[in-house]
Amino acid sequence: MAATAEAPQSTKKNYLTALKEALYEEMAANSDMVCIGEDIGILGGAFGVTDGLQEKYGRERVIDAPISEAAIVGVACGMCVNGKTTMVEMQFIDFISCGFDQIVNFTATYHYRTAGEVAIPMVIRGPAGGYGGGALYHSQMNEAWFANSPGLKIVCPSTPRDAKGLLKSALRDPNPILFYEMKELYRQRAIEEEVPEGDAALVPLGKAAVRQEGEDVTIVTYGTNVYMCLEAAKTLEAEGFRAEVIDIRSLVPLDEETILESLKKTNRLVVVNEAPRTCGFAGEILARLAQEAFEYLDAPPVRVTRLDTPVPWVKPLETFVLPSVDKITEAALRVCRY
Amino acid sequence: MLGPYSQKLTADDHRELLNQLYLARYFDVRLIKEKKRGRLRGTLYSSHNQEAILVGSLYGLKPNDWISPIHRDMPAFFLKDFRNGWRNPGRMGMTIQEVCAQVWGKQGSPGRARDNWSHIGSKAKHIIHSTSMLAGTIPAAAGVVYADRLDGGDAVVLTYNGEGSTAQGVFHEAVNFAAVHRLPVVTIIENNQWAYGTPTDMEYSLEDFARRADGYGIPGLIADGQNVFDVYEKVMEAVDFARSGKGPSIVECKTFRAYGHGDHDDDRAAKYRPTDEVAQGRSRDPIAVMKRLMVAAGTMTADQSKEHPAEGKGAAEVTDADFPPVVVEYLTEGVEFAVNDTVPPGEEGGMWVFRE
Ligand SMILES: Cc1ncc(C[n+]2csc(CCOP(=O)(O)OP(=O)(O)O)c2C)c(N)n1
Ligand SMILES: [Mg+2]
Repeated sequence: MAATAEAPQSTKKNYLTALKEALYEEMAANSDMVCIGEDIGILGGAFGVTDGLQEKYGRERVIDAPISEAAIVGVACGMCVNGKTTMVEMQFIDFISCGFDQIVNFTATYHYRTAGEVAIPMVIRGPAGGYGGGALYHSQMNEAWFANSPGLKIVCPSTPRDAKGLLKSALRDPNPILFYEMKELYRQRAIEEEVPEGDAALVPLGKAAVRQEGEDVTIVTYGTNVYMCLEAAKTLEAEGFRAEVIDIRSLVPLDEETILESLKKTNRLVVVNEAPRTCGFAGEILARLAQEAFEYLDAPPVRVTRLDTPVPWVKPLETFVLPSVDKITEAALRVCRY
Repeated sequence: MLGPYSQKLTADDHRELLNQLYLARYFDVRLIKEKKRGRLRGTLYSSHNQEAILVGSLYGLKPNDWISPIHRDMPAFFLKDFRNGWRNPGRMGMTIQEVCAQVWGKQGSPGRARDNWSHIGSKAKHIIHSTSMLAGTIPAAAGVVYADRLDGGDAVVLTYNGEGSTAQGVFHEAVNFAAVHRLPVVTIIENNQWAYGTPTDMEYSLEDFARRADGYGIPGLIADGQNVFDVYEKVMEAVDFARSGKGPSIVECKTFRAYGHGDHDDDRAAKYRPTDEVAQGRSRDPIAVMKRLMVAAGTMTADQSKEHPAEGKGAAEVTDADFPPVVVEYLTEGVEFAVNDTVPPGEEGGMWVFRE
């Protein structure tokens, strides 16, 4: 990275470009890979993640599907049964509910109910998350629905490198995977970075990343919230507390090991995510760590989540219900001073 | 009177078709008897009176074609590619041992008894694995043949559905998808006039369901579901249409559910359905219809048609003597295998959630 810092033209990439590169590279590497979704071909996707892909790989491998989420998932599943790897784009992850049965009852169970005869290498990816004023149906994080459905892996990258590396790994995994893209990060200049090419870009599923080391409190999070936690850590530092910020990157499987190691050092835990509180994944992390690390805890673990409300449209309302730097800071200080 | 496809069927074909009808019927009544004897648990979904749909639709398929059966189609799992030898393990259909092991919940089941009844399949034999979700496998059927076409294949898929299942949103999504992409998907509607306790006029507002096809811009054919030749004829028309790249069709096979929705429902069905409607619905037993057609075609004598009088009899009245011995022997091999097979060990319940 340092080598190119002074180059006249930056080779840094944004999150969206990184995703696009992953798709282009995997389509080139795997002639059995097929992409399917609404408006992904002629248009190149609502956000442009599949821009140009159909021109390059043709209408058979990059399918413009009717507005039929259930059929899209089911058709992709059938292709996987017959030897293909599929990338399914949800135009917004909120619409995934229309394909819910095909995902949780049909696709997720396939390997289990066939006693291992049929694996389903499918990645369902799409723009997710709040903070953009997308309102009720363009802001959701609904990963908990799927974490509660055995047979699905769940991934949520926060950096361009992870976006590319995890998507490439996901497309090589033999299991169905839900891939949550943070649409607020798609074109964020501040997080652009160098992104490797080819196999060097691969990031393994199920490994957390420590974004900042610290000794006083462990903050576990993923997605857009990673940056809010890092911001909160600055205030904590000014108050004399050094936070360790862990980006889990993949929810299923979860890297409990990395969280546990951190907790043994800090003895304090805050979990942050933007899904609603009740039965959310933050609660799952708390439950597991409360059980595994009870003796190491010096304070009750705390979660900072969306309120148990939908995500409203206008800014003051959206801010009110979603986690924020202030809410995270406040919660972490409480835990540190307990 | 016979159409172009059925005209080409030989006397041997006629006899084979009749035996397959007998076998499908015997499968049904034998399982009921096994359950009454206490040798079997679980709900049975009868295809009694609807066998011509399975036999006629499967008969003209190529070994590599795919099928996607549902709860009422249990015999389809072994009848697929049956012409390649009932006991030929290499044929593209399940063995009778596998199907019986599934019914009995034993290790020999293709799905190792992880889900019940018709919720099995085989990638190797080109049978899509069904679930409980009605109409839920039609998208996968479309996907399977989409992939096949990408690989240069010419496989067709038959998906079976009750008329009640067509009210599902996913039915519309999948048939529309198949139509848009001209996929070789033949959707067979087993219109048996009832969906559990609900009659067709509460399910859709058309005289002939097949007209639904107009809305998708695809052919909608109607077959007499009691007449194996007519089912064969219409399905072959749809299959050839599909294989030649022209796209999907709907084939509505008109029939009648002779008994309850499942065997748990027999007593209630006798009350919620008018007696004369049931009598009328059972009056054209597909075995009897087939015998009459064979006599008319000269492939069976009137005397021969009196042999093995299984037609028109319910499970309680019929005996093994009413069936050709080849049929009884074949199924008995499956039943004995299943009875003696073992159940899978409990720890398998925790296995295969993910592919490692
Ligand atoms: C999605 C879904 N809803 C409800 C059921 C319960 N169910 C099973 S079979 C059935 C009736 C199906 O009727 P039809 O499609 O006409 O098939 P038939 O049983 O008459 O052959 C119902 C309601 C189910 N299995 N799946
Ligand atoms: Mg019905």
